[in-house]
Amino acid sequence: MDIEIFPHRILSANTTEKLLNDLEEVEGIKRMVIQGQRLPSEDINSERRVITVKGEEIDLQVQTGRVILEIEDEEVIDDIRDICEDHLHFGFQIHIGTFIRKQKTVSDKIKYGESLDQISEEMVGLTDQNAQLSERATIIKRKEQ
Amino acid sequence: MAQFYPGTSKVAENRRRFSNPDVELEKLREISDEDVVNILGHRAPGEEYPSVHPPLEEMDEPDDAIREMVVPLDGAKAGDRVRYIQFTDSMYFAPAQPFLRSRAYLCRFRGADAGTLSGRQILETRERDLEKYSKELLETEWFDPARTGIRGKTVHGHSLRLDEDGMMFDMLRRLVFDKDTGKVHAVKNQIGDELDEPVDMGEPLEESVLKEKTTIYRKDGEAYRDDADAVEILHRIHVLRSQGGFCPE
Repeated sequence: MDIEIFPHRILSANTTEKLLNDLEEVEGIKRMVIQGQRLPSEDINSERRVITVKGEEIDLQVQTGRVILEIEDEEVIDDIRDICEDHLHFGFQIHIGTFIRKQKTVSDKIKYGESLDQISEEMVGLTDQNAQLSERATIIKRKEQ
Repeated sequence: MAQFYPGTSKVAENRRRFSNPDVELEKLREISDEDVVNILGHRAPGEEYPSVHPPLEEMDEPDDAIREMVVPLDGAKAGDRVRYIQFTDSMYFAPAQPFLRSRAYLCRFRGADAGTLSGRQILETRERDLEKYSKELLETEWFDPARTGIRGKTVHGHSLRLDEDGMMFDMLRRLVFDKDTGKVHAVKNQIGDELDEPVDMGEPLEESVLKEKTTIYRKDGEAYRDDADAVEILHRIHVLRSQGGFCPE
């Protein structure tokens, strides 16, 4: 199942970095998508920078407006809520729903062609059709792996 | 007495205040003439106004009764260029809102041309008059450093949530909030070119003050539907326009 964290303010790169690092500690989160306004290069807008999540460098290309999470079950939501309360003192909402596409589509077939079969199910739905998957998605390995 | 806007709510009252040229709006900050010119970015401070050449007096213009009747603006008399200032107003209780700006500009500023879009509003007039009007717009209640943006381009942001400092989203970050002083500084001009020196725009207004001053109807502020008088006039205009447009003869 998916949930969406909807902060009442748009988040700075610092807050995003702290939030993602803490969320990464929670067991039961499978995938995360950050959605927001795209930002120009760093010399125009200092909010665009490289953030570090669990040692993995991520080019934060947006100013975070929502964080969408795919979770294993509803029990995880309470942990996520606690973390959000620590970082999002200006208020937030958590919505339950389906926010990440789960199936490969005809558009994917047109975009990737024969190599669609090689794309794992985990990578489906993480970015919009017009973007290069490699530019937008980062794989963060868990400790045990 | 001129009727500027219907309604009994505080928002309606504020709209009438902005629109009525007899009301003097409160001055909230001081911005030097030089800084206004820098923020506009149309010419360098101290530079002469680029105007028509040869000067208008030396030109042999055709006789025109209207030209004799209408007293020209200072800028028109000098043959200045037409230049602009454009504002983006946040939906989060910014003091002025685009349609209100247009109404009020036409009542207050002679010779000014106003263009309205959903989130931004442009004022066009002769350069030296524009600088005079811009100074008034930036120094008085028209402007709040956090919720109003001076944006000649890349205007997006009026309908977005505010950022953590309470500033409206601006992709080019022209106005920057200084956490140490609590003030907002303009670091770029309206089209996003770096300024040599940042311009102090003062402190953002408190939320409660903004809710008192705002001209936007919002459900979490004053809802439009609760202003019975304004709704009644709107209905009347709607019916008359429909009937008039249906079969004019």
